[in-house]
Amino acid sequence: MQKSLIAVSSITYAMKAKKLLNNMGLYCEIQKTPKNLGSGCGYSIRVRDDLKYIFSILDAENITHKAYQKLP
Amino acid sequence: MIYFDNSATTFPKPKAVLNSAYYASRYLGGNPGRSGHKMSVRVANEVYKVREKIAYFFNAKPENVVFTLNCTHAVNFAMKGVMQSGGHIIISSLEHNAVARPAFALAHSKQNVSYSVAEVGDCNEKTVSNFKSLIRSNTKCVCMMAASNVTGEILPFNEIAAICKKRGICFILDAAQGAGVLDIKLGDGINFICCAGHKGLYGLPGTGVLISDGKYQLSTIIEGGTGATSLELEQTDFLPEQLESGTINVPGIISLGAGIDFVKNNGLNNIKRKEDRLCSLFASNVGRLSNFKIYRNENKDYAPLVSFSYKNANSFEVTEHLSNRGFALRGGFHCSALAHKTLGTEEDGLTRFSPSVFNSEIEVRKVITELKKVNNIGI
Repeated sequence: MQKSLIAVSSITYAMKAKKLLNNMGLYCEIQKTPKNLGSGCGYSIRVRDDLKYIFSILDAENITHKAYQKLP
Repeated sequence: MIYFDNSATTFPKPKAVLNSAYYASRYLGGNPGRSGHKMSVRVANEVYKVREKIAYFFNAKPENVVFTLNCTHAVNFAMKGVMQSGGHIIISSLEHNAVARPAFALAHSKQNVSYSVAEVGDCNEKTVSNFKSLIRSNTKCVCMMAASNVTGEILPFNEIAAICKKRGICFILDAAQGAGVLDIKLGDGINFICCAGHKGLYGLPGTGVLISDGKYQLSTIIEGGTGATSLELEQTDFLPEQLESGTINVPGIISLGAGIDFVKNNGLNNIKRKEDRLCSLFASNVGRLSNFKIYRNENKDYAPLVSFSYKNANSFEVTEHLSNRGFALRGGFHCSALAHKTLGTEEDGLTRFSPSVFNSEIEVRKVITELKKVNNIGI
């Protein structure tokens, strides 16, 4: 399964996303947003599932996702 | 000392609250939302759990729960945040200085802000009508208390919030004396709830919460590091980080989570019922003493506290006398200029008896016995 990193607004939204996705049985871990993905000191979630599916879940809960990148 | 000053801050705290604060100080190292290492993320997770508990308790979303230092900070964030671009505010005639002073300061520092004081009437219908009659085309916000910190009177905040909803006016509720004993929820017109964490919610001092329904974007009165959007000079513009500049009080917040668990486990109604019983016992006995006057009206509902005056001495002297005999009550003006003006007690103030769930009937009878002595032989 392709791993991806999604930058979210803040640690609070990262926590909210992790809780939501984990409760649905989906993999989600939190890490600092790397410099190339955000404007400094933000948080991102590491996911394994289809991005379209993940985004639809995040959008339904108003969790803003700013940028993403595929992970090797 | 028998403590009857729980409206100022509850004491003692539940054991679980003390243990949680110790646990947080001992084991939850790391700055949540800042450093990103495992310790920091673990703390952030514990803080988020408390946001969820508060959100569930007040019918909000976790991301709209802002941790503050106390209720006063929460009221300032909400009122000044809403009124930044000007307009008219309405407050009640019983307001604590936490509401009255920001309204006064806004009106005196900004040319485009004004405020009106709605009289609290002798019945709820009158109070609601007084608020309604003060609404103008530029009224932007109503800010009022759920219950008076001086008399305990519960104001008709739900009815007034419903009017505000119809008229498109922001409604801010100061729930300092209501949270933990009254069923207070966001919605039906209530846009913001401000409350102390260290009173009826049994957390440690230095905790407060601002809860938003997300409809109003607030301007900030404090800016700084939020752990988000760090390379931008403009303040983070989303809750809760927008209003949480600087490091948050982790042990306090964790203790607040334990306090909310305590209230839920004991049942809000059970807590209020017990405290009401203690207040009734106090009010009915002290009210019979010829030299004392109780500030309660049988047509109204009250949060669990009772204020009284004594004919032959002011409230400072009464409180000092009681303190010397092992009872902690609060005398004076309770940071409530408007309330004491409304009640006509600006000269001598009032003495306030406010029990918590930890007080017993025996303790209340002891202070009643002391006040009977004062009634008969003086201070």
